[in-house]
Amino acid sequence: MALIRAIIKHPILSGLLAVTIGGIVVLTLIVAFLDQIKWVLSDQFWFSNILSLAIFGGIMTAVAYCILLERKISAWIQDRYGPNRVGPLGLLQPLADGVKLLLKEDITPGHVDKALFVLAPFMMFVVALIGFAVVPWGGTFRWPWMDADATPLVAQVASIDIAVIYLLAVGSMGVYGVVLGGWASNNKYAFYGAMRAAAQMISYEIPLGLVVLTAVITVGYLLPVDHAMDCLRLEGAVAAQAPHAASWTMWVVFYHPVAALLMFIAALAEANRAPFDLAEAEQELIGGFHTEYSAMKWAMFFLGEYAHMITSSAFMVCLFWGGYHLPYCTWLSTDESALAMLCRIGVIGAKIAIFIGAYMVVRWSLPRFRFDQLMRLAWKSLVPMGLVILAAQVLIVYYGWPQWISIVVNLGVLVLAAIASLTNAMPISGRQQSLLIKEKAAREKEYELQHAGV
Amino acid sequence: MTDTLVYLAYAVTALGAAGIYVGMPREAKADRRGLFVIFVAAAAGMFCLVMHRILGDVANHVAFVILSLFALGGAGRMITHPKPVYSAVYFIIVILSTSAMLILAGAEFLGLVLVAVYAGAILVTYAFVIMLSQQSTMHSERFRNALDYDRATREPAWTVIAGFVLSATIAGMIVQRGWPSYDAVRAAAMSEHNTLRLGELLMTDMAVSVELAAILLLVAMVGAIAIARKRIPHDDTFEKRRPLGESGRTAAPY
Repeated sequence: MALIRAIIKHPILSGLLAVTIGGIVVLTLIVAFLDQIKWVLSDQFWFSNILSLAIFGGIMTAVAYCILLERKISAWIQDRYGPNRVGPLGLLQPLADGVKLLLKEDITPGHVDKALFVLAPFMMFVVALIGFAVVPWGGTFRWPWMDADATPLVAQVASIDIAVIYLLAVGSMGVYGVVLGGWASNNKYAFYGAMRAAAQMISYEIPLGLVVLTAVITVGYLLPVDHAMDCLRLEGAVAAQAPHAASWTMWVVFYHPVAALLMFIAALAEANRAPFDLAEAEQELIGGFHTEYSAMKWAMFFLGEYAHMITSSAFMVCLFWGGYHLPYCTWLSTDESALAMLCRIGVIGAKIAIFIGAYMVVRWSLPRFRFDQLMRLAWKSLVPMGLVILAAQVLIVYYGWPQWISIVVNLGVLVLAAIASLTNAMPISGRQQSLLIKEKAAREKEYELQHAGV
Repeated sequence: MTDTLVYLAYAVTALGAAGIYVGMPREAKADRRGLFVIFVAAAAGMFCLVMHRILGDVANHVAFVILSLFALGGAGRMITHPKPVYSAVYFIIVILSTSAMLILAGAEFLGLVLVAVYAGAILVTYAFVIMLSQQSTMHSERFRNALDYDRATREPAWTVIAGFVLSATIAGMIVQRGWPSYDAVRAAAMSEHNTLRLGELLMTDMAVSVELAAILLLVAMVGAIAIARKRIPHDDTFEKRRPLGESGRTAAPY
C-alpha cells in the first residue's frame, strides 16, 4: 500500500505508470478490434475521413513548426540566434507559443462589430484548411492485408473531378476573412490593411488563373488522349508528370519555367507574404487588418496564413513540380504498397517544405513593394506574360506541335519582358515623377538666373 | 395533385412574404421578432411539406431540403437585415448553399464557378463598396448611427407584393411542370464528364456568345481604367488650382 502511494506521489514514476497503463489499454483495444480497424482502414470512405483528421493534425503541427522555421530563417538571414531557449535548439518554442496564445486574454474591444469580428478569423482559417481536401498526398496503394486484386485505396481525402477549380474557388473565398476582420475592427488602420489586401488578392487572382490554365492545358496535352479529361484533377496533373520511358522527366516546370515562376509570384501575393505584405505593413498600418485582434483569434489569422502557404505550395508542386514523382524513380511512381505510399507522402511533403523555405527566404530578403509597384507588377508584367504563354500553349495543343516549343516561348517571353523593363524603366510613381520634373525645371531656372548676368 | 401543389407553393410564398414584410427594418420600435419567427417557421414547414410532395421520399433528400432552407433563410435575412455588410454576408450563405445544391445535383462545375465568380469576385467588390461607404458601429448604436435609408424600408408593402408576385409565379410554374426526377437528373449528370461537355458546347455552339461576353468584359475593363485613371499634370497649374485648406498646408516636396 505504502509502495503504491509512494509511486503515485512520485512525479516521474506516476507519469511512467500512467503512460504504461494507457499504452497497455490502447494496445489491447487495437489487438481486440484488429479486424474492425483493418476493415475501416480498407474502406475508402472511412479511410478518407481518417486521413482528413490526420491531415488536420499534421497541418496544425506543420504550421506551428513553420513559424519556428520562419523565425530561425529570419535569424539566420539577419545573423542572430533566433529562438533557442525552449527545449533543445528551441524546438519546443511552438508549444510554448501555442500555450501562451491559448492562455492570453482574448480581448474583444468595445467599439467593434462583434459578430463579424469573431467570424472573420474563423473564415480565414476554415478557407485555408479546406483546400487540403483535394491535394493528392500519396497516390493509390493497398494495405499489406488487402488482396492483391482488391480495388486500391487513394491516399487523398476527396478525389473530385475539378480539383483545380475547387482550389481556385476556395482560394478566392480567403479574402473575406481579411476584409470582414478589417472592417469589423472599426479602426482605420485595420481597414486600410483590409482594403489593400482585398485589392491585391483580387488582382493577383488573374495571373494565377492564367498560369493555372496554362498548366492544366499542358497536362491535358501530356496525358494520354483517353485520360485527357483528368487534367482538372490534381492527381491527373500529377500522373501526367510521372517518370516516363521516353524522357527522364515530364514535370511541367521544364516545359513552362516562366509560368512556374509567375505562379510562385502570384502565390506569394495571394498569401499576403512579403514582398507583398502591404496589408500588414507595420511601419504604416500598425498591424494591418489584425490590429485589434489578440490571443487565439489573432493566432487564427496566422494559422490561416501559414496553412494558405502550405496549400498554395501543394498546388504548385502538383501542377508544375511533379507532385510525388521523382526523376528515374519508377518504383516510387508505380508501386502500390503502403510503404511506397508513405514514401510518396514524404516526397510531396519535402517538395512543399522546399517551397515554404523559399517563401521565407524571399520574405526576409526583399523589401516590400509600394502599392503602385504592386499593381504595375500584376497588370503590366504578370498578366501579359501569362497571356502570351497561355496563347502559345493553346496554339501548341490546337495544331498538335511538339511540346518543347513552349520552352522557347517561355524564354522568349522572359527576354522580351527583360528588354521592355530595361527600356521603359520607371521605378517611381507618376506623382513622384511629376515632382522630379518640377524640381529639374526649378533647378534649370535657378541656373539660368545665376548665369543671367554673366 | 398538381393543383394542390400549386396552391401550396403559393401559400409558402405568401407566408414567406408575410415574414419578410414583418421583418423589414422600420423606424417603429415595436418588437415583431416573435411574429417574424412564427411566419418564417410556418413557411419553412410548409416548404418541407411541398418538397415532400414533389420529391416523394424526403429521407433521400435531407441534404437538399436543408440546403434549400439555408438558402431561402439566408435570402430572407439578406433582405431584412438593416446593415448592408451583414446582407453581403448572408448573401454568401445563399451562394454557398446554392452551389452545394448544384454539386448535389451533379453540376459540380457550375457550383464551383458560382462560388468562384459570385462569392470570390463579385460579392467581394460589393462588400468593398459597402464597407467604404459605411463605418462599422457598435450593436447598441445600430439604429442611432445607421443611415436613414438603412434604418427603415421606404415601401415595405409594395416591395413585398412585387416580390411575392414574381416568386409565386416562378414557384407555381416550377411545381406545375412535370420535371424529371431528381435522381434521374443526377444519374444523367454523373454518367458523363459534364465539365467536358460544357466546354465543348461553349466552344462550338455558343462560341459567338462567349466571344461577345469576352468583348463586353474587355470593353468594361478598358472603360473602367479610362474613367479611374487620373492624370497629374507636370506643371504648377495643378497645385494652384487646388483650393486652400483642402488637404492642409502644402509642404515642400523634399
